Amino acid sequence: AACGLYFPRKEYSENVYIDQPAGTPLLRIHALRDSRGEATHFHLCQNLIVSRARSHENHWFQIREKTGLLYLSKSLDREDFNMLSVGSWMPLSKVMLYVFLSSHPFQEKECDSAMRTTVFLSLINATAPACSSLTARQLCFTEMDLSFHIKENKPPGTFHQLQLPSVHHLCQNLSISYKLLAAEGMPFRYNENTTGVSVTQRLDREERERYELIAKCTVREGFREMQVEVPFLVNVLDEDDSPPFLPNGTDTADAVVEFNRKEGTVLATLTVYDADTTPIYPLESSRKKYTGTIITDDPWISETFRVEHIFDEIHFSPNGSQVRGTQHEYKLVLNKSISVTEHRSFQLDVLVNDTEFHGPERSVMLHFNVSILPVSIQFPNMTYQFTVNRNAERFAQIGKICIENCMKFRGVNITYKLLSPNVSCYPVSILQGREDRWGSVYVNDSSVLRRPECKEIQYTIQATDKQSRKHTKTLLTVVLEGTLLKKEEDCPDSCAVSKHQAECEECGGLGVLTGRCQWRQGSGKGITTNYSTCTPSIKTCPDGTCDVIESKDAAVCPQDCTSGNIIGGHGKGIGNLGIKSGHGICYCFPRQNCYCEKDDIKEQLCDDVCKTVI
Amino acid sequence: LAGPPSPPGQDPHGWRVPVDCVRANELCAAEPSCSSRYRTLRQCLAGRDRNTMLANKECQAALEVLQESPLYDCRCKRGMKKELQCLQIYWSIHLGLTEGEEFYEASPYEPVTSRLSDIFRLASIFSGMDPATNSKSNHCLDAAKACNLNDNCKRLRSGYISTCSKEISATEHCSRRRCHKALRQFFDRVPSEYTYRLLFCSCKDQACAERRRQTIVPSCSYEDKEKPNCLDLRNTCRTDHLCRSRLADFHTNCQASFQSLTSCPGDNYQACLGSYAGLIAGFDMTPNYVDASPTSITISPWCSCKGSGNMEEECEKFLHDFTENPCLRNAIQAFGNGTDVNLSP
Repeated sequence: AACGLYFPRKEYSENVYIDQPAGTPLLRIHALRDSRGEATHFHLCQNLIVSRARSHENHWFQIREKTGLLYLSKSLDREDFNMLSVGSWMPLSKVMLYVFLSSHPFQEKECDSAMRTTVFLSLINATAPACSSLTARQLCFTEMDLSFHIKENKPPGTFHQLQLPSVHHLCQNLSISYKLLAAEGMPFRYNENTTGVSVTQRLDREERERYELIAKCTVREGFREMQVEVPFLVNVLDEDDSPPFLPNGTDTADAVVEFNRKEGTVLATLTVYDADTTPIYPLESSRKKYTGTIITDDPWISETFRVEHIFDEIHFSPNGSQVRGTQHEYKLVLNKSISVTEHRSFQLDVLVNDTEFHGPERSVMLHFNVSILPVSIQFPNMTYQFTVNRNAERFAQIGKICIENCMKFRGVNITYKLLSPNVSCYPVSILQGREDRWGSVYVNDSSVLRRPECKEIQYTIQATDKQSRKHTKTLLTVVLEGTLLKKEEDCPDSCAVSKHQAECEECGGLGVLTGRCQWRQGSGKGITTNYSTCTPSIKTCPDGTCDVIESKDAAVCPQDCTSGNIIGGHGKGIGNLGIKSGHGICYCFPRQNCYCEKDDIKEQLCDDVCKTVI
Repeated sequence: LAGPPSPPGQDPHGWRVPVDCVRANELCAAEPSCSSRYRTLRQCLAGRDRNTMLANKECQAALEVLQESPLYDCRCKRGMKKELQCLQIYWSIHLGLTEGEEFYEASPYEPVTSRLSDIFRLASIFSGMDPATNSKSNHCLDAAKACNLNDNCKRLRSGYISTCSKEISATEHCSRRRCHKALRQFFDRVPSEYTYRLLFCSCKDQACAERRRQTIVPSCSYEDKEKPNCLDLRNTCRTDHLCRSRLADFHTNCQASFQSLTSCPGDNYQACLGSYAGLIAGFDMTPNYVDASPTSITISPWCSCKGSGNMEEECEKFLHDFTENPCLRNAIQAFGNGTDVNLSP
């Protein structure tokens, strides 16, 4: 049968000295009951754990089965001490004993019961000290904190004795008396005759979970009087005695699936409160104690949705004092991506169950009003028209195309492609990054741009949804404009190579829009994201991301895409690609190194900012 | 205090000199009765339940025989060759015997006998100045300079800094695992006169304290998106032999004690600082300064006691060994001030 007895402390401690006589009381252990009239029996495990893993048979210590008084049954002499300290490398030896608890007399003297407390005995390599040499602190209290835990909803009982049995036995000529301060109005009582402290009524953790009192001790020896005060703490242990409840009575939430249809999307969240605490650790068992189940017969619903449960500690203040409680959040989550054609509405019920609460209101029902709306795959009501300069080079980015609401889409895979025009002029192509929801139109063949017969080219663009195979089309017109410039000789094929504004703006390079590179003048302050550099287009390079077109050729924008060495003061970009920030002017030799340096020699070689070392 | 005369095999401090577990394992393997009992005990302990084990006669017998073998008291050295193997042997015996639920576990490492003063002596040789008198300077900056002047320290320091600040992707700003490994190498392979100066430099202003806080690149090695519960963190740490050992070592050497002047066990600051540094070197239990306050030093692992349920008291106790530990605080302050306890040997 389940035994409701328990120890109000996990650990006890006391000192043991050489040659203390048999019969010396050491300490008093208490137990608290689950129900009135339950008997308590204490039992000592006949196994001493001597520092570390070594154990030894216990010949010296015994406990009174009824009262819990631990005493020396045989005095420890120097030989015993030496034997018990073998294997110990610390100057101070400690032995550990387990005390067990049962509601009926112990039959088998075995060391296996869930109810146990640990006693640490420090073996002091000296005879017992004279009472006059002990401080008041040593006479009154042990080193351990006076800290206890009492379960809520349990009958009253005595849980501690302030007087130290060992000191009382040793120093009988001293008068040692105790008082419990700050106890007015608190459910604790101190008995002067026994020095026992008891709890006087059933405690409720949801009302108050911590009591802080003060134990005061007065030692009188003739005319001398000494006083010590130490904190006396009682923590109230929680049990599941509160049902779940809804904050503001809210049990319904709307869950709309529209543009975001991706697996893992959180559609809606409902909150349930509980005045009981829920330990995070171990997490899985707490999840099992508080369940949330989708109530449905529809296999499609159970496949498509799942409920995620997270919980967090919150505080309630029932009557001034703060107590801990729990906030449970139930999130309705998409278990798989939903097709763009799906269209339905229904109510989804989730049953939340506080499985350890033994009352009628142990569960609450949560309702999610789910609406799955279809989304249309279509282009905005217009056709695209891009103008391209005849001097643009390969990989020049002309524009982006995107179906209606494309930037809002999640979990919908749209691919864009150009349907070939039936003309010979075909200078542009479309590219799409792996995660991109848009397509980028860029110059694929710059020689076509130079041909005078190509002026205005019409394309058809098609966007397709991968999952539903739905597609839509629109027209794209590319207009070529501008007059051809004379090409400078000795120009590198990459803008990034140029180190000065003049040589930058004189030359073209891969990716330029108008035949000439553009110079970005930075702020010139230390290592900055706004460094000076030469780029095919300030709009796209450097912008901190190595986009799908820039990654086609290392010469287009090494500032965003380089994975090589960067020499000089700099910071690297995401995934170690590109130059996120640089010192002075940054220039690059594609597929080789990049350099960031101050150009102006007249300036101080290294100022304070550049001195900043890692 | 006059102790009993030292039996053979003890060092001058009166402690038994333990054999390391790798060596003890070799000694046991050479002896047929020991090796067969060791195998039996390991099988007994594999069940992980102490009580069933103790009830079994065969297991009990194996345990008694092994109590006399060198395996029983064997210990490991921090940073030794085959440290992990040594710890594995140690825990293969102790795991089932000390019980996982114990609050403090004994350290599998040998006791530290050197003292802080040894470090100061070396430190003043290379810096050419007495650290205690130089009150105006930024000690943490001096420590960084001193490290940069030593090839080994500089190499391993820039090694961990670049590993810990390397951005992986937009969502993952560094590789925590690699960062921890690099930090471990730094603390294991660089002499403590360099590493302690960086970690425990004393500060008079916030800039210095911020530099001190940044020593281990906390954005990667320390902070995380969420703060786990400390008991949960301890549990994770105990599943790993190395983390478990370093934590046990910290508890052994930094546990506040009423019985000493300094609040440290055996008044040994060096041992406490050493186990603190050993805990940093990697793992999720990594402690750090919680803020850049120059004078009030608060140290904590990345965890809180939120959500502890009925274990809140135990959780607070665990956390307080970091946040409100007079031994640790005194040791750090003593190092910063260049003072050590003078004890007669």
